Amino acid sequence: MKVHIRKILVWLSLCCLCSAALAEPFVQGGPIGSQTEGGFDALGPVVEQPIEFPHKTHAGTEPGQMGINCMYCHTYARRSNVSGIPRLDKCMGCHKMIESVKDKPRIKKLFEYWEKKEPIPWKKVHDLPDFVRFNHERHIQRFYFSEHRPVREVCGYCHGDVGSMTTARRVKALSMGWCVSCHQKDHLENANTTKTSNGPNDCWQCHK
Amino acid sequence: MSLSNLIKNWSTLRVKRPYEDQYKDKDYKWAMVIDLDACTGCNACTTACYAENNLPVVGKEAFSKGQAMHWIRIERYWGEGDELPKFPDRGAQFLPMLCQQCESAPCEVVCPVGATHHTPDGLNSQVYNRCIGSRYCSANCPYKVRYFNWWQYPERAWPNPLEQQLNPDVTVRSKGVMEKCTFCVQRLVEAKNRARTEGRRVEDGEVTTACAQACPTSAITFGNLADNKSQVAKMWARQQVDLAKDKQEKSDENMRGYRIFEDLRTYPSIVYMERIRDLQA
Repeated sequence: MKVHIRKILVWLSLCCLCSAALAEPFVQGGPIGSQTEGGFDALGPVVEQPIEFPHKTHAGTEPGQMGINCMYCHTYARRSNVSGIPRLDKCMGCHKMIESVKDKPRIKKLFEYWEKKEPIPWKKVHDLPDFVRFNHERHIQRFYFSEHRPVREVCGYCHGDVGSMTTARRVKALSMGWCVSCHQKDHLENANTTKTSNGPNDCWQCHK
Repeated sequence: MSLSNLIKNWSTLRVKRPYEDQYKDKDYKWAMVIDLDACTGCNACTTACYAENNLPVVGKEAFSKGQAMHWIRIERYWGEGDELPKFPDRGAQFLPMLCQQCESAPCEVVCPVGATHHTPDGLNSQVYNRCIGSRYCSANCPYKVRYFNWWQYPERAWPNPLEQQLNPDVTVRSKGVMEKCTFCVQRLVEAKNRARTEGRRVEDGEVTTACAQACPTSAITFGNLADNKSQVAKMWARQQVDLAKDKQEKSDENMRGYRIFEDLRTYPSIVYMERIRDLQA
């Protein structure tokens, strides 16, 4: 009898595991560039950051969230190839003045780095291969400054809705076919016109 | 290439290239003029190219087998064809030879995987990720300016800490791919992006190749042929060289501008200006 109970228990637990696996549409931390059947939304590898930075609190627009423009911290996106990770003094510029959250564990960590005079070793989440030339400036200038689309949408084309995440996760494929699928669409040239054009379709624009 | 793109650009894709005024309404057509009378054969262009484009130094043994990776090389000519040099004491004639960025490139049509093709701004591109190393393109190039990576050079050419000198804007090529002069495309893309953000066309002199920049006698002129006011376009016009013609009709036979192997109908983007020699002195 005891053996039977054990067998049943094993079967039950196996069933639970299987159903849990089936309910999860994609596996977190799957291989780089893996895609679900439905589209390009498999999550990239889990990157553990030194501080679990809550993008939600800073960039989110719901009540209680700050709704800061992405480019307040990622300053170089509008004028450079790379968007840039903010320096520690950018964090401190605000957090020195915010007394209410000073004893939260993440902020304590932040102050530790500040006192040690060490930069926070953030890790790259959206890491393109070395043979790819990607320019943030052109995309931001086109869609944010010329077409006046909302910033969270513009950044979200490639980065997903980071404003609803804590630490950023890769939610788009960032593969060549995925880039090209957007470059082939007709985009308005600016906010005041109906004229459209495509993204560059030339190998050497992106391949080094 | 999508079907919609194919249908939309059918007329431009099916036309025989190059044709008259092909780049008239286009923004860019990169071209070059090399004045052989100014060239002293100092090899500064080659050195600059090695530094800019992450070219590996292959070593003596590989060099003797003809496996050197110089995208621009200085060729030496002592006499015309098989004839003996008339003035050996005056030294050789020099000719910098680099990819001619042909408008009708023999290398492009033979690539089995489409790794080399023509860009909208008139360059003959080479995409390393696609290249499978069949070497057909090199065999079909009349100028012999395509170079094959016979070995895995990076570890040998840049032992630690020399990898720090590599240009991050250019891929370090691995074994088994073909490579060639790109007209310093990394600089061109950067200049074009900057110009687009500012809502204008790249101005003449704003961007140049590493070889042209390093040339101490300014023998190399680089620029945009689609821009009538650029120095290159003026020099082409002055030398009466037309991009779309394989036989140039010149009003004055003393005109020095010519393109190499024009009769092969490759329509190169580089005009050479013949050297003047005083045969009496």
